[in-house]
Amino acid sequence: MTTPAAGREAGELHVVGKGLPKVDAAAKVTGAIAYADDIDLPGMLFCKLLRSQHPYARIVSIDTSAARAMPGVVAVITGDDLPVKYGIMPTCEDELALEHEKVRFVGDPVAAVAAVDEETALAACRAIEVGYEPLEAVESIEQALVSPDDEPIHGYAGPANVHRLAALEFGDVDAGFAEAAHVREDVFFFEGNTHLPMEQHSATAQAVGDKVTLWSSTQDPHYVHRALAKVLGLPMGSVRVVAAPHGGGFGGKCDPFSHEIAVCKLSLMTGRPVKCTLTREEVFYTHRGRHPVLMWVRTGVDRDGRILAMHFRSALDGGAYGSYGPASTLYTGALQTTTYAIPAYRFEGARVFTNKAPCGPKRGHGTPQPRFALEVHLDKLAADLGIDPVELRRRNYVRPFTRTVNWLRITSCGLGEVTDRVLEASGYEHRVKRPGHGMGFAVSSYMCGAGLPIYWNTMPHSECILNVGRGGVTLLSGATDIGQGSDTVLATIAAEELGLSPGDIRLVTGDTGLTPVDLGSYSSRVTFMAGNAAREAAARMRELLVRAVAEEKGCAPDEVAVADGRIGLIAFEEAAALAEARFGALSTRGSYTPPQGIGGRYKGAGVGPSPAYSYSAAVVDLDADGRSGEIRVNKVWLGHDIGRSINELAVRGQVEGGVYMGLGEVLMEAQAYRDGLLRQPSMLDYKSLTFLDMPEVETILVETLDPEGPYGAKEVGQGPLLPVIPAVVSAVHEALGVWVDEVPVTPDKVVRALDARAKGKEPRYGPKSFPQIPYPPLVKVAPPDAATAAL
Amino acid sequence: MAVFVPTSLEELLTARAERPGLDLVAGGTDLVVEVNFGRHRLEDVASLSRVPELGGWRREGPAGPGGHLVLGSGLTYTEMLDPTLAELLPSLAQAARTVGSPQIRNAGTLGGNLGTASPAGDTLPVLAALEAEVLLGSAAGTRLVPLGEFVTGPKRTALAPDEVILAARVPVARGHQEFLKVGTRNAMVIAVCSVALVLDEQARQVRVGLGSVGPVPIRALEAERFAAEVVDWSTGRFSGGEADLRRFGELVGAAARPIDDHRSIASYRRRAVEVCARRALERTMSRQAA
Ligand SMILES: Cc1cc2nc3c(=O)[nH]c(=O)nc-3n(C[C@H](O)[C@H](O)[C@H](O)COP(=O)(O)OP(=O)(O)OC[C@H]3O[C@@H](n4cnc5c(N)ncnc54)[C@H](O)[C@@H]3O)c2cc1C
Repeated sequence: MTTPAAGREAGELHVVGKGLPKVDAAAKVTGAIAYADDIDLPGMLFCKLLRSQHPYARIVSIDTSAARAMPGVVAVITGDDLPVKYGIMPTCEDELALEHEKVRFVGDPVAAVAAVDEETALAACRAIEVGYEPLEAVESIEQALVSPDDEPIHGYAGPANVHRLAALEFGDVDAGFAEAAHVREDVFFFEGNTHLPMEQHSATAQAVGDKVTLWSSTQDPHYVHRALAKVLGLPMGSVRVVAAPHGGGFGGKCDPFSHEIAVCKLSLMTGRPVKCTLTREEVFYTHRGRHPVLMWVRTGVDRDGRILAMHFRSALDGGAYGSYGPASTLYTGALQTTTYAIPAYRFEGARVFTNKAPCGPKRGHGTPQPRFALEVHLDKLAADLGIDPVELRRRNYVRPFTRTVNWLRITSCGLGEVTDRVLEASGYEHRVKRPGHGMGFAVSSYMCGAGLPIYWNTMPHSECILNVGRGGVTLLSGATDIGQGSDTVLATIAAEELGLSPGDIRLVTGDTGLTPVDLGSYSSRVTFMAGNAAREAAARMRELLVRAVAEEKGCAPDEVAVADGRIGLIAFEEAAALAEARFGALSTRGSYTPPQGIGGRYKGAGVGPSPAYSYSAAVVDLDADGRSGEIRVNKVWLGHDIGRSINELAVRGQVEGGVYMGLGEVLMEAQAYRDGLLRQPSMLDYKSLTFLDMPEVETILVETLDPEGPYGAKEVGQGPLLPVIPAVVSAVHEALGVWVDEVPVTPDKVVRALDARAKGKEPRYGPKSFPQIPYPPLVKVAPPDAATAAL
Repeated sequence: MAVFVPTSLEELLTARAERPGLDLVAGGTDLVVEVNFGRHRLEDVASLSRVPELGGWRREGPAGPGGHLVLGSGLTYTEMLDPTLAELLPSLAQAARTVGSPQIRNAGTLGGNLGTASPAGDTLPVLAALEAEVLLGSAAGTRLVPLGEFVTGPKRTALAPDEVILAARVPVARGHQEFLKVGTRNAMVIAVCSVALVLDEQARQVRVGLGSVGPVPIRALEAERFAAEVVDWSTGRFSGGEADLRRFGELVGAAARPIDDHRSIASYRRRAVEVCARRALERTMSRQAA
């Protein structure tokens, strides 16, 4: 689907690529935007959830009578009122909005109260008596692999508390290792961490009769819509979900949640609007964040450092529920091949259940952990061989327009160029090494949207409707702006096609009752997919307007220029009137479905394929103290292959945000547990970078004009986070001569690595071994043949 | 719940005498957190912010050695950064600079830090090294309690139910002062460990207070005695070598009694306190004595 506009020179574009302010910037900075928690409806009730304080326990009794009798309490519900299970992935619908048989983590909801105010609702929650019979909590990956004395956390999957296993082989890995001049093995651990959005989750439901509308701070109203219809037992047409203006998601608002379901149920029961806003502490327990992952990687190379075979194993601590787990598991093995040409590749992955807050997708979903392991592993391999680590990577870089051993279709690829540009800008190759100072380099890639939907269907992933009339231009899209700027992107694309300014486009978005579908703001899919749909709708509208003007003026359509608020020489509004008079109501549609054949056909092939991949490279410069282990990052250079910037300001904002988040993850963030309890469920103790910790970021954008992206655009929301983490680890090694093979790289770990070296042991801190995991027999997949591999 | 807003010390002390255990709120930056986490239920509460006698600071006795500084319990961290006071008590100013964020520094007070008596309270090691006393008052009168006796355990103090912290009374010392803190980031961070170092040229003493490495602020007495031998008292600067710094660090580390908790681990705390201590002593060489 190569479109002529993809090749348009930047000079021909009027608003695409310009660093215009976001369309909602003024409303946001002046406080005019009403976020989910700002919603205030007449007669509204407030909901609070009673949550388990046990990590794992059987519920033997729930007595709500005292709570119901409290003045101001209007309704109390428990699991009996919402007995239908749900979950984001069809293969693991293992959640109940309110648990009534057992609780599986501290924070698991068991009852919900609607009352006249939050205080009363909270007091009523405290008055609910729940009888628990504690079970032995599962706290680690190792423990989850052993059959429990009590029952497993869930009644499906297994053995023991294993949730999901995967074992895939592409090409002949053993042969590759046999041929290798050098083979290296490493073990890594990436601690879990959480999203930390500025805005807590909040949802308000309003039922009228047996129909209900939910306003929620969600990233994917469509999936919430499906879950609500299922759990409430209502037809899809009776449920409407509106994504409220959003204060940050990062993947934390991608699942359907208990509070969303509870307020709908309570509103249907009481006939009054019901709101539930989570406290910050509840947000930490709601989680669905980065999985802790233990990894083992073995790579065989030839004498020149060319990879001959790789074997990658991962074990994910999934927490208490399935969530996106099966996808998360496969993601830890899927994208190694999108940066490096690996001729033979074996992946074995496992996800286990533990009695902790459930993990799910966070920016980079399942790929920052293996990317950290892979890049650091390659640094070590390079050192073994005495080859420069950048050079070793270059020798293995994938080529544009090829197919990987696991059948992923690579199209535009600026990997070499982003590498050149960050090296040049940072002076990496001319650095003078000195103790206590280090520079590190790493690369990565990320998807521009998942190639497949979460539930199997053949409908488009993104749809848009564009209306032009006497009320102006309105674009309807199911896409949800979670702060990433999708509204700006869609308005910019429509404006570009119609010769208008982004501010001229009225947007109606993320409303399952009004807008055509968009699968949601996850997997960096919106610019690419909703962007293409918007562009198609707008191009069709443009064609109608041009035709009307051409007919009126008696000229050929290609003589009618569209720019600066004019169609030909006629003002846009007049042209619209001409078109409406000729064609009737002006409404055009656009849809986007990812192309067929961008991935393989084996079981598990659904995770990894994307219509395009973005590429990033990072150089990090830091100082590290050889006594205290403290790390001070001085500067980060981040080169990113964006395809084309739809809005350069927004792209730079995403790069800086990604670097910020990556630095937080590698230096300090940890959703960690101590004695079975979440260590730091507060923003004071869960550490992320402050202004004083954030270094300068130099963003370098490379435009490769992807043939299928809208105007050539690719993603930027997630990719730039990825290389930052290994680049920091690499720089710490250069500064102090020790490897910290565990994220976050906190000063105490650095000190332990230094101490190990002082005692003559391996100068390293990190996991010592990888557990025995009962992986199933390998599914052997033949790699694409040479003809298919070169697109 | 009743809220009192006394406008004089007398009014406050009377209220406190009539209702022993009446909650006191100064900046509220500890108390409100406790309430929000459900660890403390507010009963009746008195606000201290309108009691003029608790605010500010003043000198008592001679300006130099022999005199005292009386720091009102209502003194905020921002006020500790006031140049005049910062010159007299540089280590306190350094500690104040590391506390929370601008908002917390504007609201949080010395009295609140003492009242909470957290092992991680940043003014406590400084007050320990300064050999401060805490001035307590009740309707019955006042008493002075040395800091080491005031803080009786983690978050436990010698404050009686009818008493209020009036001030910290600090002897004026001439000599270099340092405060160093290790945390996971550079702002909004509770100490993993902290070290206050005070040189008293008159008494020829080096005094070292340690925070976050024990249930209460710790004085590293053996390290202090050792350090006094390696300071050139004619210049008030450290005059030893690398071996002395190492020894000093080790002695400070030996004095620490750290534990593992949700912020760090004991072994790292001991290491960090050693590093901070040697850095503090080293810095006396490069900077002008106060
Ligand atoms: C975001 C954040 C960051 C923080 N960072 C730091 C930090 O870096 N370092 C640090 O040390 N602390 C920090 N704190 C803790 C807190 O700010 C300090 O302990 C502060 O000094 C408390 O003072 P306050 O006036 O707010 O106390 P309040 O909360 O008002 O009171 C605390 C306790 O002391 C009692 N009290 C207060 N005044 C008196 C008095 N005159 N007489 C008797 N009892 C009294 C109160 O009854 C209460 O029990 C932080 C807190 C927050 C919320």
